[in-house]
Amino acid sequence: MSTPDAPAKPALAATPRQNEQMRSKGRSRSVWRLALRDPTTIIGILAAILFAYLIVVPVISMLSDAILVQFGEERRAHAAVGMPTLYYLTRTFSSAVSSDLFWQPLVHTLEVAAGAIILAVAIGGTMAWLLSRTNMLARRWLATALIVPYMLPAWTFALAWTTLFKNRTIGGQLGWLEAIGLSPPDWLAYGQVPITIIMALHYAPFVILLFGNALRRFDSQLEDSARVLGAGTTTVTTQIILPLMLPSLLSAIILIFAKSLGEFGVPYVLGLPVDFDVLSTSLYRNISSRHTGVAAVLAGSIMLIGILSMLVDARLVREARRFVTIGSKGSMNRLSALGPLRLPATGLAFLIFLLSVGLPLATLFLSTIMRQPANFSPDNFTLDFWIGHDLGTVALRTGILLSPDLWNAAWNSLWIVGTASVTSGILGLLVGYVVARTLLWPLAMFLRHVTFLPYLVPGIAFAAAYLSLFAVPRGPIPSLYGTAFILLLALVAEQMPYASRAGISAMMQLGKDPEEAAQIAGAGWLRRMLSIVIPIQKGSLSTGILMPFISGIKGLSLFVILAVPSTDVLTTYSLRLVDYHYTQAANAVVLIIAGLAYFGTLLAQKLTKTNLAEGLGG
Amino acid sequence: MPTISLRNVEKSYGNGALNAVSDLDLEIGDGEFMCLLGPSGCGKTTTLRMIAGLEHLSGGEIQVGSDKVDDVDAGIFVPPERRGMGLVFQSYALWPHLTIERNTDFGLRLRKVPKPEREARVTEVMQALGIEQYRDRYPSQLSGGQQQRVALARMLAVNPQVLLLDEPLSNLDARLRLEMRAELKRLHEAFKTTIVFVTHDQWEAMTLATTIAVMRDGRLQQVGTPNDIYDRPANRFVAEFVGNPPINLVEMSAAETSTLARALRPVLGERTDVGSVGIRPEALHLATTDAEVPTGAFHVRARISGVLPTGGSWIVEIAAGNDKLFAAAHEPPGFTAGDDVVVWAKPAALHLFNAAGDRLAGLASPDHARKN
Repeated sequence: MSTPDAPAKPALAATPRQNEQMRSKGRSRSVWRLALRDPTTIIGILAAILFAYLIVVPVISMLSDAILVQFGEERRAHAAVGMPTLYYLTRTFSSAVSSDLFWQPLVHTLEVAAGAIILAVAIGGTMAWLLSRTNMLARRWLATALIVPYMLPAWTFALAWTTLFKNRTIGGQLGWLEAIGLSPPDWLAYGQVPITIIMALHYAPFVILLFGNALRRFDSQLEDSARVLGAGTTTVTTQIILPLMLPSLLSAIILIFAKSLGEFGVPYVLGLPVDFDVLSTSLYRNISSRHTGVAAVLAGSIMLIGILSMLVDARLVREARRFVTIGSKGSMNRLSALGPLRLPATGLAFLIFLLSVGLPLATLFLSTIMRQPANFSPDNFTLDFWIGHDLGTVALRTGILLSPDLWNAAWNSLWIVGTASVTSGILGLLVGYVVARTLLWPLAMFLRHVTFLPYLVPGIAFAAAYLSLFAVPRGPIPSLYGTAFILLLALVAEQMPYASRAGISAMMQLGKDPEEAAQIAGAGWLRRMLSIVIPIQKGSLSTGILMPFISGIKGLSLFVILAVPSTDVLTTYSLRLVDYHYTQAANAVVLIIAGLAYFGTLLAQKLTKTNLAEGLGG
Repeated sequence: MPTISLRNVEKSYGNGALNAVSDLDLEIGDGEFMCLLGPSGCGKTTTLRMIAGLEHLSGGEIQVGSDKVDDVDAGIFVPPERRGMGLVFQSYALWPHLTIERNTDFGLRLRKVPKPEREARVTEVMQALGIEQYRDRYPSQLSGGQQQRVALARMLAVNPQVLLLDEPLSNLDARLRLEMRAELKRLHEAFKTTIVFVTHDQWEAMTLATTIAVMRDGRLQQVGTPNDIYDRPANRFVAEFVGNPPINLVEMSAAETSTLARALRPVLGERTDVGSVGIRPEALHLATTDAEVPTGAFHVRARISGVLPTGGSWIVEIAAGNDKLFAAAHEPPGFTAGDDVVVWAKPAALHLFNAAGDRLAGLASPDHARKN
């Protein structure tokens, strides 16, 4: 290097950097100025505030309950109300009762989840392979039939199970087996075994759909290449097919795990009689006995496990993306001939359908038209439980269809879930609009993440968070507990992940062109929204409303904590009937819900021409 | 390297369905670069997959060298993994979960080749194809052309007796395609492998193949060198399928309405067996007056309706009465749209087909025409 040039260099280098800094400062200032003139920003900021309040604040409020002394517990915690304390954490995790409160339920939760996953993968994996890669008979029909369990509420099957297997351990009408003199042992009637089996049957469709899709997309040419190079069936299976199927299988497994974590109805119906607690029922117990602090710790723990499993899933998805096959016409998929096993395989698939759909629904239906369980003489059949008068019961003296309570609950279900779905659908589209259009990326980021947060929080923990925030008056907002409003808000928040995801992807696909064309033609923001954006997006808007509506109708875990008798929806009403041992009535209500959910799903698929498989990720 | 013989090969899917391949007899010689050419759905890919052993025959037999690998009557079927062939798919079908190196040495590992030997071979093949620097990458990190090379490397690594290629270039852009064509030709010469190549692109077939087999609806139409196929198409289908711009075909039965058929009649003279006549665009010449046309040549008055330069050559669209003709020229035609011209062709350049579309003997060229 020649010396004369050297000193000049730093000076030269500094100038462009300074320029750059000045330019970027000016640029960000002008971005703000531009952004503030744009209605998108205003809406975005309002939405951000709304979701902060509906989603972030309840979660924080709940988490803070875990470390602040709650009302009435000053003496136990040795501190004044509202002071920080470790009392609830120690009580839940390391006290004499911690085993009952947390560790035992945690172990149960993990055991049930593990059992359900193994069974669901075995059943779902086999069915997925039969459906997508073999010449089994009736594949088209079975492909739909085998995912019906997913469309029905899980505890439909729990009620069917008790109808069949209930023994004398608890009161109420006998189970069918007990009634014909076979006493099912407790381990078969209640607790871990039935809960595991039912969850497995309910979640097997996840495996059928996710794993089946991956199998269907699997390019036979990958297999052919290996065979041409000299690989036999074993090598092809272990070195080519399995490694490529693993991500989708793991994804299904984690989804099942996360869902079973928040599953409340099944363990509630089947676990309670033998004190088989899982985390969700332990949380429910603590909320109903007003142990708010411990409940907050439990809810926080469920949330944490939920978040962890979703992080694992996100990682897997990223891993899987690394080896996406690049587009080809040749994604050929040949079917293996089953040969002599064709009929037995078809039989097996039909058996699974019968066990997971036919038998439970038939049992439930029969139980609603029979006075005595398992008595099939003609005079034992009656429609009284549906449309009868003056039944000899203490309460509910009419058939369920004549009971005003049912219609009240149905009406509540309809308007609460309906309003919430429409609201979240529209909010989702707005979020999508802001995320796709705003110039301020922090705003987009915040909205994207905050609306996704409820996805990580199991419904029952989320409900606990709402209870924690809205059970007492806060500032200008009165106590909302006992009103339909708290259900509505919680439901809107709970549905936001699906609604915003639908909205964001719809708006991203739309692009700016149609709107800019209208802008050039002289349309203001509102006009563009009303006559361009919303009409174009009405398809995705209706999906964004219908799918949450259906899952809301059959949803239980959110309502069971937030509903009171006057705000009963169909699901909580049927659970109340279960608690009072009105077996036939409870089963009838569950059948109604199952019918609504099933036909609603069919209708939604027909209207939106979508397939359940696509909506499954959520 | 062995010869592959297909005898009376049949393939049908399901009962009553049309045959995907019917009564196919084909001999693929040692070291040959054979192209199976035809429109999509003509059975060429099925034929390739049958040679590889990925499809079972419905009838007939396939012999590789002295070994029968398929014989339906004798119940012989050698599975694909024991045929010692290589197959490259249109979509490459690289294993997305394995690195480029593991993709390439897959076959060698199966053959239990010791590590040092294996690595040497992989390096050799990768170097030959210019992909050595991607050893540790995954397929999704490579471009289409690079993936294509990996797909080839994977098969070449095991030194197959026969390399089967199923439209391997159709997913590449024009420039890469050209490069890979040259590459394939070079590989064929360097590795001396017998190659069977499936394509629907006549250009690809013409430029690469030593022999072309044209197929249609599962039936073999013609086997020959590229020049054979182009200069002496066995039937109307081959004549129409090969050549761009396509051959001009004149139906002789339409003599009432067709200006061209009327003009052709005197040239054909006594030949009453002719159902249609084909004229390649480059065999058509343009003149201003009848006087410039050699005696005895086919000629007709026509008008230029368009001149389309294609860069280095020109396509001239000509209207003769109700008929349309395409001529191709490698020099500027010197006419523009709207000009009246005389279009002519030597009688020897006419392809004659009978009513069924099969090739007939051509016309002899009068001596004085050749001098012209």
